[in-house]
Amino acid sequence: MICPRCRSKSVETVKVAPGGAWQVHQCTCCWYGWRNTEPAARTVPERFPEEFRLTRQAITDAPELPAVPPLARPVHADAQGAGDER
Amino acid sequence: MPYDDLRAFLDALDEQGQLVHITEPVDPEADLAVAANAAARMGPDAPALCFERVTGYPTGRVAVNVHGSWANHALALELPPTTPVRRQVEEFSRRWESFPVPPEYREAPPFLAHTLHGDDVDLYSVLPLFRLNAHDGGFYVDKAAVITRDPADPGHFGKQNVGIYRLQCKGRRRFGIQPGSIHDIARHLRSAEERGEDLPVAVALGNDPVISLVAATPMAYDESEYELAGALRGAPAPIARAPLTDLDVPWGCEVLMEGVIKSRVREIEGPFGEFTGHYSGGRRMPVIRIDRISYRTDPLFEHLYLGLPWTEIDHLMGPATCVPLLQQLRAEFPEVVAVNAMYTHGLVAIVSTRSRVGGFARAVGLRVATTPHGLGYCKVVIVVDETVDPFDLPQVMWALSTKFNPADDLIQLPVMPILPLDPSSDPAGISGKVVLDATTPTAPDRRGRHTAPVQDLPGTGVWLEKLRGMTDRARR
Repeated sequence: MICPRCRSKSVETVKVAPGGAWQVHQCTCCWYGWRNTEPAARTVPERFPEEFRLTRQAITDAPELPAVPPLARPVHADAQGAGDER
Repeated sequence: MPYDDLRAFLDALDEQGQLVHITEPVDPEADLAVAANAAARMGPDAPALCFERVTGYPTGRVAVNVHGSWANHALALELPPTTPVRRQVEEFSRRWESFPVPPEYREAPPFLAHTLHGDDVDLYSVLPLFRLNAHDGGFYVDKAAVITRDPADPGHFGKQNVGIYRLQCKGRRRFGIQPGSIHDIARHLRSAEERGEDLPVAVALGNDPVISLVAATPMAYDESEYELAGALRGAPAPIARAPLTDLDVPWGCEVLMEGVIKSRVREIEGPFGEFTGHYSGGRRMPVIRIDRISYRTDPLFEHLYLGLPWTEIDHLMGPATCVPLLQQLRAEFPEVVAVNAMYTHGLVAIVSTRSRVGGFARAVGLRVATTPHGLGYCKVVIVVDETVDPFDLPQVMWALSTKFNPADDLIQLPVMPILPLDPSSDPAGISGKVVLDATTPTAPDRRGRHTAPVQDLPGTGVWLEKLRGMTDRARR
C-alpha cells in the first residue's frame, strides 16, 4: 500500500473497526490519514487531487510555524562569553 | 444552576428542544460532517446533534454543533434561547465585570474511570475520529481545551493557558498542533524550546459549555480562563489536577489526554478547512506525544464542524471576541459603547463610540488595530456614532453611506501583522489594515453637512409596542 497523497510506502494500518467495517491508514512520511471506505479522491493515488498532493521536497521545504527559536545560553555561559569579549 | 459537564448541558438542550438525537446508523464519512454542515445552515435556532450509532465505533457517541446557534449560545450562558445577540454580548460583558472568580478544586473527576498509559494509549480506539472537510490532511480534534503553563513562571495561575487549537491525529498517541505565533501557547512553547525542554500539555475534550467559550476568548496573557469561567457561570469553575502533568484541567471533561509538546520538533501538518472558509496547511508544526489518556465510560466525542462561514465556530468565537475588545478599549476610552467583532474572529470589527474631540473616532479605530487581539485581526475597523448599533448592520451601512467620506475618513495602514491564516495576507502574516471613520465629525472638525439629522418621532416606541401587540393577537 502507498500513501495516496505523497506515494510513500511508509503506511501503517492504525485501526481496524470491530467486525471489519473499515480500516484507518496513516502515512508516516506526510502524515496523511484516511479510512479505506472514503471516496477514491481521498484514497487512490491516481485520483488524489493534484493541488493537494505532496512531494518529499515540498514536505522538507515547508515553513515552520512557529519557527524553532535559538537555544538560550545558560547563565554561566553568558558570563563566560562576556569575559571572552573583554 | 451552572453546568458542570457536557452531559448536563446536553440534557438542558434536550429539554429546550435544542438537541436532536440521531439513532439511525451513520457512517463516519461523510455522514457525520455533512450532517454537522447542514445543522450550521439551519439558522439562529439550529440544534446540537448527538449521533448514537456510528458504523465501526460500537460505543462511540459524537456531539456536534453544541454552540452552533444563537439559541444554544444563549443557553450556554443560561439565558433564554430567544435572547437577542446584542443582549447576549452585553450579558457576557456584564458578567466579565466580576472577573476574576477563583476556581474550585474538586476530587474524583469522572474522567478517572478509565486510563491507558504509554504505548497502550490508542486515540483511534477511544475517540470516534472522522474527517471534517474533503481535503483535510487527516482526522482532527478541534474543540478541545489545550492547557499549558509558562515554563518561566510555572506557579503563576493566570499565565496557565486554556485555549482551543487544531489537533491533527497522526498516530495512536501523536497529534500535530497549530500554535499560532500570537497565541499564548506559542509563548509557552518558545520558552520551553529556548531551554531545550518538552512542554507538558493536557488536552481536555468534551467540556461544559462555558469552558469552550473561555477557551475561545482572546484574554490577556496573565488572565486565567478558569477565573473568567467562574465569572460567566456566576460560580467557581470546577477543576481538577491532571494526574500525570499536574496541570489544572476541567473537572467534568469527557476525555483527558496528557503528554508533552516535543521540544524543537516540527512536522508537516494539514491542510485543514479553517474558520476563514479556506483550507490552510503545508507548514511544519509542533508535535504532541500523548503519554496518558483518561476517560469517562462511553465518552462523548464533542466535535466542531467548520467550513464556509457561518458555522458553529462563528457563534463560539463571536461574543467571546467582542467582549475583551470592548473591555480593553473602554479601559482607555470610556466613550466606547459597543463592539461587534463577530466576523471571522474579528477580522472585521465595528465599534460605536461617543466623540470626545474632533478626530477621536479614528484614534479609537487605530487602538482597535493595536489591541492584543487586533495585532492578528481587526483588518477592517468601522467606527460609528454611539447612536448606531454595531450589531444592526443596516444601521452600520446607513452610517457608512452618509457619514463616511473616502477623501478623509479612510485611514490606511500598510504592512501590518495579521494571522497567517488570512488568505488575503501577502506574505502570509502581513496585511494592510484600514479604519473607516463613519462617525459625525466633532468640532473643530466641521466637515460635511450633518447638523440636521432626522430622528424617530416622539411616541414611536409606544406605537411600536402597541402595533406588535396587535399583530401578535391577529396571528394567534
